Amino acid sequence: MRLVIDERRCKGCNLCTMVCPYRIFKQGSKPNARGIVVPELDRPERCANCRLQALYGRTLCGMCQMICPDQAISWQEEEKNEPRKVAIEF
Amino acid sequence: MTYTEWLREDRLPHIYCAGCGNGTVINCTLNAVDQMGWKKEETVFVSGIGCSSRAPGYIMTDSLHTTHGRALAFATGIKMASPDLNVVVFTGDGDLAAIGGNHFIHACRRNIDLTVVCMNNQIYGMTGGQGSPTTPMGALSTTTPYGSREPTFDLCELASAAGANFVSRWTSYHVKELTRAIHNGLKTSGFSFIEAAVQCPTNYGRRNKFRQVMDQIEYFKTHAVLQQKADRLREEGKPLPENSIVVGEFVHRNRPAMGVKR
Ligand code: SF4
Ligand code: SF4
Ligand code: SF4
Repeated sequence: MRLVIDERRCKGCNLCTMVCPYRIFKQGSKPNARGIVVPELDRPERCANCRLQALYGRTLCGMCQMICPDQAISWQEEEKNEPRKVAIEF
Repeated sequence: MTYTEWLREDRLPHIYCAGCGNGTVINCTLNAVDQMGWKKEETVFVSGIGCSSRAPGYIMTDSLHTTHGRALAFATGIKMASPDLNVVVFTGDGDLAAIGGNHFIHACRRNIDLTVVCMNNQIYGMTGGQGSPTTPMGALSTTTPYGSREPTFDLCELASAAGANFVSRWTSYHVKELTRAIHNGLKTSGFSFIEAAVQCPTNYGRRNKFRQVMDQIEYFKTHAVLQQKADRLREEGKPLPENSIVVGEFVHRNRPAMGVKR
């Protein structure tokens, strides 16, 4: 699963940046085509939901999705073996 | 099934301002309704007038958007005519406590099997920020430019005194607890009242020193006091910290109710 922000819905309120225990959401810097500063995702693959949602068959944590007033946050299915850059933390 | 299937995707994004807490309360309510396993065609959402009352328009069920303050009167009618429907009412502080105040206390007294979710933003948001019966003392609004001088309604105490079966209060920061409270309210037969303190960045926040949406959420986070702690402080004879919002489940009882599913 992959965490995505729907740019057509997000209004840039930054509430998601307050609640994530991993601090995945960072305040954005550039306005998008609609003139809204959408938060940036910092290594979203760390989200518990991305990793374990399919295994448990339900939404874990989910704080960001619940607090987002614009229903902009969701998880998408990924292709198998999709190449992706991974940052390793030491 | 997840709660997002209850949303009318074609109507989104909704008209609420950026960071308006009403959107969060819609998420929590739909999540709780989804956990109940209700069918869409057996669920009705009712609302009056105000920002909060736009909510049923974004939900994929039958709904009624009624006249100002009369949401509970219409909901009572639905429940009396067909008790098998599950009725959830969205309302705001102005709609419920000011214009619909009398309907509110009588719906509590009759203990009709409804679940009422009140999005209390402490101001009349839609009409331009006039003071409402829950605008706190000292808060600025367009009708109280020098700070409100009126004591406010405590909606939860009002509902408990009038006879509701379930009364609870949370804020839009406490999404998990709010969802659980609404779920408990839906399960309880009789009148369930859940007050959700929400931020209104456009009309309340920017007049009252909450420059960012996050500031008001931070305020909810730091000023919420659990009911158990409030009781303990009262027993010890200590005063509650100033401006605290007491949250928790206040009443859960089993008075005789009207309009319960047969
Ligand atoms: S589900 Fe939880 S961990 Fe994952 S991004 Fe949202 S808040 Fe962070
Ligand atoms: S909470 Fe939702 S609307 Fe607000 S910035 Fe985050 S994704 Fe955008
Ligand atoms: S005026 Fe206030 S309550 Fe109404 S949509 Fe805007 S922020 Fe929300």
